Amino acid sequence: MFDVPVGQGPVHITLRMGPKLTRPVPAEVTEALLSAQITATAGERGGFQLAFDLTKNGIINRALLPEGFFDPKTRIIVTVTVKGTSDVLLDGLIVRQEVGASNQPGHSTLTVTGEDLSLLMDLEERTDRYPNLPPSDRVLAILRRYSDYGIRPDVYKEKVSQPPHQDLRVHYQTGTDLQYVTELARANGYTFYLEPGPTPGQSSARWGPEIRLGIRQHALNVNMDNNSTVDQLTFSYDGTAREEPQARWQDPGTRVSTLLPQPPISPLRPPLGRRPTPALKRRTLTGTAKQQREQAEAELLARAAVSADVISGSGSLDVNRHGYILQPRQLVGVRGAGRAYDGDYYVKSVTHNLRPGSYQQNFTVSREGLEARSAYVRP
Amino acid sequence: MADIEPYENALDAIPGAHPYPRSSRYHDAEIGIHRQPDGTEVRYTKRRLLPPLGQPDQLDQLDRPGDEGRRHTVGSGDRPDLLGQRYFGDPAQWWQLADANPVLDPRELTDEAGKVIEVPLPGSGGERRV
Repeated sequence: MFDVPVGQGPVHITLRMGPKLTRPVPAEVTEALLSAQITATAGERGGFQLAFDLTKNGIINRALLPEGFFDPKTRIIVTVTVKGTSDVLLDGLIVRQEVGASNQPGHSTLTVTGEDLSLLMDLEERTDRYPNLPPSDRVLAILRRYSDYGIRPDVYKEKVSQPPHQDLRVHYQTGTDLQYVTELARANGYTFYLEPGPTPGQSSARWGPEIRLGIRQHALNVNMDNNSTVDQLTFSYDGTAREEPQARWQDPGTRVSTLLPQPPISPLRPPLGRRPTPALKRRTLTGTAKQQREQAEAELLARAAVSADVISGSGSLDVNRHGYILQPRQLVGVRGAGRAYDGDYYVKSVTHNLRPGSYQQNFTVSREGLEARSAYVRP
Repeated sequence: MADIEPYENALDAIPGAHPYPRSSRYHDAEIGIHRQPDGTEVRYTKRRLLPPLGQPDQLDQLDRPGDEGRRHTVGSGDRPDLLGQRYFGDPAQWWQLADANPVLDPRELTDEAGKVIEVPLPGSGGERRV
């Protein structure tokens, strides 16, 4: 199974390219694909790098490259089918291309690098005012501009509701749309990212809490003889990563400043480990005194939740052996790592490495405490 | 917090709340709710419609050199599950062949040697929704 090249074995890769609407690429382009590396991270922009074989008289060198088939801002969609089930791995835009011409035949390559569709939101700086709109409605209003790229908003109401007062404060956007949306997400303890799929040409823009609920993915097995699917898995436990933020808020009427109570973070981050790590550091947030009270509370909650993940693991797996693609930004079970580190984890980021004959994934997972909460994981 | 989430399987109590696995043909089927006269709710999987047949992407057609790899001539000893293993790497994916060549009984696909059946391209399995 491992010797069959991609495209003829159980793993198939499909490329679609085009300016805004995409179409399947000519067969020669798929055949010339040497390697693909695709990164997806929670709360950050995804990237990709594809390398093509640049034959001297091939169709890429002769026609496609001069005609602008690989120009910047060309949209590219990569779909991978494992055992007849297809997944959209990437929906992005080309940013740069590199041509390495070589004296040795067969060693000339074309490398295209790019980022996922959120690059579109980062191109243009904009100043805009959003009177009387709570943060989630502001995000919706921004995302509506990008619907012609098939981006559907998947926006959640903020946990600490912040009713706007037009006569007190009007919220202003400076900078690009992506900066503003990410800033709003961070102030509420949310993440913002684009999830490609489910069909090619669509993607959903999630502005909400990380998905730490629901169905787990198929478990990662390590140290289980021939049942193990993960090549290696390293865990690190950083005790100083968690901090307890403190915020003071001043009442504009009475000028009395009060220390805000510590909010429970479980609505934003339901615990995955049985033994949560106590916070060693205590930090004071700046600038919360003059905000509205709800805003200060939301920021306190966000800071407490974001710093909660102290255990992080990283490893790599072979998709052919695992049998499934590990999806980022979802939960996965780990077994075989011992009583302390077994259990459910949140998949922070995944890097897909595809080349003919192999499909490897590097991943990082995280959670906030030792020991599993449940006695079993989904196999 | 008492209202945190169901770590074990809180969804188990609700019939039909579990989605079908990604590889299932019912993965995209809608889950309906039937309300009985006494008010209890029963969940059921709605009818699954086949993806439209015989109108592949025209651009798609232009770029393919011939029909190689898209058709299979049935030989003796072929079975739908063997073809599923051969073309998709998973014997449980035979239903993709049955979808592309609409037959009522999957055994009709391979019971006649010499018959030519369509093999759908990987990744073109109709409209998938999550």
